[in-house]
Parts: sequence; structure tokens; C-alpha cells
Amino acid sequence: MAALDELREAVIDGQLAVAVEQTKRGLEEGIPAQTLFDDGLMAAMRRVGELFEEGEVFVPEMLVASRAMTAALEVLKPELVAEGASTSGRVAIGTVMGDLHDIGKNLVAMMLRGNGFEIDDLGTDVYPERFVQAIRDGAEVVAMSALLTTTMTNMRAVVEAIGEAGLREGVAVVIGGAPITQTFAEEVGADGYARDASSAVRMVEQVLGRVRATNGP
Amino acid sequence: MKPRDRVAAALDHLTPDRCPFQATFTPEFAARLRSDLRQDAGGTYNPHGGGNSYELELALGEDLLLTSVGWANSYYQDGDTYVDEWGVGWRAVPYATRFGPGHYTEPSVHPLADRAALSAYRPPDPGRAELYVDSAAAIRDFGEDYWIVGVTVTTIFEAAWALRGLERLLMDFIEDPDLAEEILEIPYRYHLAAAEQLVRLGVDTIWLGDDIGQQAGLLMSPRHWRRFLKPRMAHMVATLKALNHRLTIAYHTDGCVYAIIPELIEIGIDILNPVQPVAMDPAKLKREYGGELCFWGSIDEQHTLPFGSPDDVRREVRERIATLGAGGGLILGPTHHLQLDTPLENFWAMTEEVTGRTRAGGSG
Repeated sequence: MAALDELREAVIDGQLAVAVEQTKRGLEEGIPAQTLFDDGLMAAMRRVGELFEEGEVFVPEMLVASRAMTAALEVLKPELVAEGASTSGRVAIGTVMGDLHDIGKNLVAMMLRGNGFEIDDLGTDVYPERFVQAIRDGAEVVAMSALLTTTMTNMRAVVEAIGEAGLREGVAVVIGGAPITQTFAEEVGADGYARDASSAVRMVEQVLGRVRATNGP
Repeated sequence: MKPRDRVAAALDHLTPDRCPFQATFTPEFAARLRSDLRQDAGGTYNPHGGGNSYELELALGEDLLLTSVGWANSYYQDGDTYVDEWGVGWRAVPYATRFGPGHYTEPSVHPLADRAALSAYRPPDPGRAELYVDSAAAIRDFGEDYWIVGVTVTTIFEAAWALRGLERLLMDFIEDPDLAEEILEIPYRYHLAAAEQLVRLGVDTIWLGDDIGQQAGLLMSPRHWRRFLKPRMAHMVATLKALNHRLTIAYHTDGCVYAIIPELIEIGIDILNPVQPVAMDPAKLKREYGGELCFWGSIDEQHTLPFGSPDDVRREVRERIATLGAGGGLILGPTHHLQLDTPLENFWAMTEEVTGRTRAGGSG
């Protein structure tokens, strides 16, 4: 299907207008929205993630690819809803209290979005109560970012606040950021840590699988 | 050895009497140090070196003194929010550590976020005489004994991202390269003029800086770096060295930048800062580039200084002196301004290990 190939290429190259046009063309040709999403947008973003890991593309290329993907997704959304499509899961993501650095957080959000996750982007300088509220609003995964050693300790406060609210069982908590390590993730009681945006997607999928298995359907 | 001669030797790849030392601090860490040293508090300490009185640096046995002109001096101004002379809006963001509360200041309003603002935008004037009064005084008062560094960090890319917004600027590289060039040109011209004036006044080193590294690689492709940043850096280095052929140029970038180090050497960068050991292997850097490049920094402010023990810190200092410092070529210091979460014991372990001075005036 030419529309699908061209859609993938347009997203990988960050060609927003072409991506939107090919999405519309695909729908006109009768390709199901779910197929355009899975084999077009998601496949493209997975490829972008691989190219990023391989050092073939860098942050600017990821940003334009993600923007093209998001624009094409806007076209698909009504169709996906009509087809009764389900998402991979709902993730609330934010940079923790005291920290305004958001490029890493944004890269993770765009890779998750490109892999079928619904994203509740809480922004930067996010207080623990706000993460708790996001879980009450339906998030299954809380993803936290910090660039600074002085703010990464606030991740512990978020995990504690989730526990105090009685919500810890039903939610997966994942963290990342320059100073974060696996040891630190274990210390603060997070379920997972990833070192970059691409491995973050795989880690969220794994952790979410564990939480769902524990909680039942 | 005088601090000045010690630095000169190290930068000439000769072994000095001890490794030169230089450190910067967040204002809160500086206040804690001053209190530990029972120094009367001066004004707010500026980690980039604008307007400092140097009592702290001298008491600690630092060998290099910083004097800064440029956008980086907009950090740590007073107020919960403020707008600097570039039109960049700032926000104070508080944080808490086990050693007390602190705050960072972060650019939060970008005057060129809307490209339509560019035609009417007027940057500040780098020719104002008052900008250089402190630098002239530092050279006059301390230049005979200390190595004076003129700081014009956030030279091109970082100040441009403050003007435009980081993600917008990075996307401009692909979608509107001419616009990106025009915006990068604004801080570049300013900091070039400032650095030229600092060289004329007599600084020994000019410190350029633009963060282009992530933990594991470059933020942008080498191709984009070669198009947007390298030619400007090359021209700047050549212009400054033409004013004083003995001038050395240091360049700061966080993260892992192996991919462009040979080109940094090619355009005349003499000193690489801060050499984050979690992002690049110091021993490898010394092995591959130590003949041409000097190193500045290298003591980890991501794990060892804030979370390690004093012995961990001493071990890391000894290791760096033995590797990066072999045959000179190293100015030792933390890889970032000392942060408030760093125990004083760790800071003193670092300074004592490198300077051999024991802590004076502290409480034990």
C-alpha cells in the first residue's frame, strides 16, 4: 500500500504536510484507521526511535518526526474512535517539582504517543498531588523526569504521595533523567528506569504488563 | 609556584608543582562555604563569575579567577520573576535539600518564540564601558598572581535557545535554517565583541560554552553542528587568537561529545570543560586527545560529590590527577557548580586532595 509507505517515510522525515496528506489519502483508499496508525504512524516512530538509538538521527529530527506524527494522528483520531480502537495505556508524565527541564520528558512523551499510549502531559515543576490526581483521572502509568540531583529526590515524595492516597497497587511508576540510575529507581520505590526515550517505551510496556497481571483485568 | 605559573605550566603540558584547581558554586552552596569559613558574606555569589569579589576563591586556593560578560550573567538575579536585558523572562524555582532550601533561575519566556518578533528585536549593546569595569579590576588586582579567565559562556547556541526556545530552535535547524542562522547570529555577535574586549583588557583564557551533549551523544547531528555552530566558533577563536597569540580558549559543553572533539581541536580549542566522567571516559580522552587538548573539571557532580563518601571523592581526585593530569594538561574541578546537596565534607575532601591545603577556619 503506497499510502502507508509514503506516510511512514513522511513521519520519519518530519514532513508534516505530507504526513497529513498521506493519512487522508489512506482513509480515502479505505485503509482502516487502525492500520494507518499501527503500520504507518507507530511503525514510523518505532523506526525513528531505532535510528535515534543507533545515532543516525538526533533530537531535532525526533522533534519534527513527532510533530508530523501528532498532526497525522489528529486526522485519524475521529476514525479511531469510530472504529472503537483501544490505546496501549494511559500515561501521566511530568518533570518533578522544582525542575523546569522538559526536553527529555517531551521526547519520552512523543515516543510513547507514537507507540499508541495516551499521554496526559502534566508539564514541568509538577507537585506530587498533581501526579496523584492524574492517577484518579485514569493514568495507569506515572512517568517522572528530573535533570537535577537536587530535584530528583522529589520522585520519592511522589511515590510516597501515591502510596498515601492508596493508589500504589494499581499504577506503574517509571522514572528517568540524566542523574537517575537503576539503583536510585529501586531506592525511591519506582517500578522501572530507562536511560533514553526509546528504551523508555519498552520499559513502560513491560512494567505495565506486570501491573496489569498483578491487578487482573 | 604562583597560581598563575602553575596554570601556565599545566596548559603547556608540563607537570606543575600540583594540579591547578578551580571550582564554582550555586549561590546557596557559596553561602554555606562562606559560613563554614567564617567569611563575612559578600554579595550574592555568581557562579559564572560576574561581579564576584574573589575572597572565597582565594581562601580555597583556586588558581584561576573568572570574570564574566554576557547573557550568562542573567542567571540568579533577584525576584521570583524577572526579565533580563535581552528580553528573556526568568522564573525562580525553589528546591529543598538535606542541607536547606535553594533556588534555581530558569528562562521561561522566550522573546523570539514568535518569529515575527525578530524584525523588531534589538539585542543589548556589548560596547558599554560599564560592562568591563569588574574585569579590568580583576586583571589589575589579581592578574599578576592568578590566571584570569574571561567568561562568555552560553556563547551562541544556549543564548539563542533562550531567545527562541530550545525545541523551536532545534526544529528551525531542519525547517527554517535561515531563521536559525539569524537567531544564532545575535548572541554570537554580542559574545564575540565581549570576548574581544576581554582579550584586549588582558585575560589569559577566554571560556566559551554551549551545551550540545546529552549523556550518551550529541543533541544535534554533527552535520547540524558543522553548519550552525562550528563556523561561528572557528571564526571567533581565530579572531580572538589574532588579538593575542598566547591566548588559550576553553570550551564548555555538557555530555558526550566524542563525535566532534577532533574538530574542536582543529578550530583551535585548547581546553575542554567539564569532562563529565559519566558521559565520557577521562582515560580515553587523555589517551586519544591529551597531546593537543587540556582538560578542565572531571570530578563528578552527578554521583560522587553529592552522594559519595569523602573517600570516594579523594579516590576520584587521585585517579583524575593520575590519568588526565599525567604530564600536565589538567585543571581539576567539579563538573558543574557545586550544588547544595553536596556535603561540605566531600567538597573539602576534593579541595584538600588537590591543593594539599587543609580546611581553614571551619568547624571540623
